[in-house]
Amino acid sequence: MRFHQKLIASAVVGGLLVTPAFAEGTLDKIKKTGTITLGHRDSSIPFSYLANSPQPIGYSVDIANKVVDKLKKDLNMPNLQVKYNLVTSQTRIPLVQNGTVDLECGSTTNNLERQRQVDFSVGIFEIGTRLLTKKTSGVKDFPDLKGKNVVTTAGTTSERLLKSMNAEQGLGMNVISAKDHGESFLMLETGRAVAFMMDDVLLAGEMAKAKRPADWVVTGKPQSFEIYGCMMRKGDPAFKKTVDDAIRALYKSGEINKIYAKWFQSPVPPKNVNLNFPMSPEFKKLIQNPTDKSAEQM
Amino acid sequence: MNYHWDWAVFFKSTGIGDEIYLDWFVAGLGWTVAVALVAWCIALALGAVLGVMRTLPNKALSGVATAYVELFRNVPLLVQLFVWYFLVPDLLPERAQVWFKQELNPTTSAYLSVVACLAFFTAARVCEQVRTGIQALPRGQTMAAMAMGFSLPQVYRHVLLPQAFRIIIPPLTSEFLNIFKNSSVASLIGLMELLAQTKQTAEFSANLFEAFTLATLIYFVLNMSLMKGMGWLEKRVAVPGLIGSGGK
Amino acid sequence: MIRFNSVHKWFKDLHVLNDINLEVKAGEVVVVCGPSGSGKSTLIRTVNQLETISQGEIWVDGVNVADPKTDLNALRAEVGFVFQHFNLYPHLSVLDNITLSPIQVKGMDKAAAEARAVQLLEKVGLAHKKDAFPAQLSGGQQQRVAIARGLAMDPRVMLFDEPTSALDPEMIGEVLKVMKDLALSGMTMMVVTHEMGFAREVADRVVFIDHGQVLESAAPAEFFSAPRTERAQQFLRQVLTPMR
Ligand SMILES: Nc1ncnc2c1ncn2[C@@H]1O[C@H](COP(=O)(O)OP(=O)(O)OP(=O)(O)O)[C@@H](O)[C@H]1O
Ligand SMILES: [Mg+2]
Repeated sequence: MRFHQKLIASAVVGGLLVTPAFAEGTLDKIKKTGTITLGHRDSSIPFSYLANSPQPIGYSVDIANKVVDKLKKDLNMPNLQVKYNLVTSQTRIPLVQNGTVDLECGSTTNNLERQRQVDFSVGIFEIGTRLLTKKTSGVKDFPDLKGKNVVTTAGTTSERLLKSMNAEQGLGMNVISAKDHGESFLMLETGRAVAFMMDDVLLAGEMAKAKRPADWVVTGKPQSFEIYGCMMRKGDPAFKKTVDDAIRALYKSGEINKIYAKWFQSPVPPKNVNLNFPMSPEFKKLIQNPTDKSAEQM
Repeated sequence: MNYHWDWAVFFKSTGIGDEIYLDWFVAGLGWTVAVALVAWCIALALGAVLGVMRTLPNKALSGVATAYVELFRNVPLLVQLFVWYFLVPDLLPERAQVWFKQELNPTTSAYLSVVACLAFFTAARVCEQVRTGIQALPRGQTMAAMAMGFSLPQVYRHVLLPQAFRIIIPPLTSEFLNIFKNSSVASLIGLMELLAQTKQTAEFSANLFEAFTLATLIYFVLNMSLMKGMGWLEKRVAVPGLIGSGGK
Repeated sequence: MIRFNSVHKWFKDLHVLNDINLEVKAGEVVVVCGPSGSGKSTLIRTVNQLETISQGEIWVDGVNVADPKTDLNALRAEVGFVFQHFNLYPHLSVLDNITLSPIQVKGMDKAAAEARAVQLLEKVGLAHKKDAFPAQLSGGQQQRVAIARGLAMDPRVMLFDEPTSALDPEMIGEVLKVMKDLALSGMTMMVVTHEMGFAREVADRVVFIDHGQVLESAAPAEFFSAPRTERAQQFLRQVLTPMR
């Protein structure tokens, strides 16, 4: 019964929160309270996660902090307090909407469904969905998966893509939807699946953590590209401009390259593994021409 | 808060073939029911046998049943699921391993694992209810039946179990509801039951509240019908004057 | 029909049955009485081995019941037992209570078992209650059903353990009447009871036990008029003197 109560509670709370909690803009709110609340994840390595301290770290957290620096300057508030609020993939949108979180920079894909609920900053990262497989598996690209067991993480675009490939190209794959990336990799490792389809950067992360990284390979033509963005409340152009400007400035100054190298091409906590994930041509293009559109809109 | 409500979301395309989100809920409900019902039937049968074993004078048999209950009641359900899904198949002979892990449809192998997991877990709980039910009966019942020339199996079959099961219908009802609730662990090994489909709908459509509201409604109706069904059963088998049974 | 040869039984240190030697002949009605805790229930239960014995022999209809090779279920099917607390099966109707054993143990067919059950119910005056459940009957009625249930197996012996002591006084008579009719029909009966009126009128012999020992075994006239032991005299004074 406890589970049902939770469901009912969330539905009821959902109903109550329809009333706008913050008619005022986010900038006004920040000025008035002297604080900004950043949403973060607990294990989106290396984007936003908790390692050895209570403060979240990661690539997206660094970008969010650059935004905070700009706010301090623009609003002339050198003592602006930063509060961190943990979000999950299920809570991140409602918590932004109801005003608990002002800005969520993690590993959230910008897509059309989400754009109806929140606004996105210009893109902060771009991934392609590819395959992780054993070097000896013989799988080089998606057509090789015909009739095989393929694992992906439940609720991701990859899952939708795999199922669409079955529906449209009749590949006849058995799609296993695991609960998180770690478990997807376990399915791959224990031989339940021959390949793991996911965002290439996350695949690189799983590979780096494996007992013998050299046994594995990321392969296949990307089936889709996704742009990650920071989420904020809808219809707040002043705040959005500040956020976008801060990110554009990073791109323009080339400072982004330092941040990128720190998280994707050097050892990162907690286990000091190096993802060895060079910047993709797609992301390089995004840096040249920043946009807040989703990849499907491009 | 500026949430974008959209109750029509359930009829929108999921982007996969020509499925709509509602199809996901229907499929999810189907798996939830298929897991829970099959596991329940096994749990009931196995639990009854174990419950009887625990009340037998034979020390070895009751010891086995007691050990079973201790093991399956005290190890967390999630751990048991992982054992069934990841470890048990590795104990099979090489050929069977390949068959179970690779040739068998992964949905089927996940289904088998989760049914085994829930059935064995719930059997331990049913066992305890059956034991309590039997022990709640006056000793005179056994004596009377023995005095009439019944063998021990006959005593259980005709005298003890019919009474014990009537007494324990209410606690069994709550175990029955529990198995539906617990069936949501299936999503952890990739079986897309109702909760998993709900989360997936929420994730893909970004209409979280609608998805969870519908799930709440489905669970609620499911629960209610199960309780009504068990209430009906309780009335139907009620016998005047028997403790704990529905009649007076 | 029943014969106890030097029977002893211990519950740990407690010597509940101490050198019992006793015989109940075919067609005889023997009443067993004695103070509470003297071992009466234990004694009567040993006859169909609801209690085992520690030493000695008990023969029932030519079979040594204490012999481990004896088929106890077959023995018990031949010996009817009526309990102080009736012990009817509460989940079965009166009719099913009576037919369960004949059908399950003797393999009798259902129709025959039911016809026989109705006959027995008529005998105990309860034919109209055949579809009732035990909880819907008074104590006296339940005990009469219990007697009918015992008789349904066509036993060679009927054992009664204080069949009236859980009953309200106004119901005792109806049960004793059924037992008396049964005795008159020639049934071999062993009855533990404190109903001295019944003993005087129906019993062929009264056995008095105390501390697990048979202290008296005599015809009722003799037992009631001239009990030989001090204990029996004391016991009779207590059960025969109405409370003031
Ligand atoms: N299972 C048992 N274990 C240990 N002691 C027992 C057991 N059953 C009976 N006793 C003891 O044995 C003695 C005789 O018991 P029994 O029931 O035969 O007495 P009784 O003459 O029938 O008494 P009452 O008139 O109260 O029914 C009592 O002291 C009783 O406490
Ligand atoms: Mg007694």
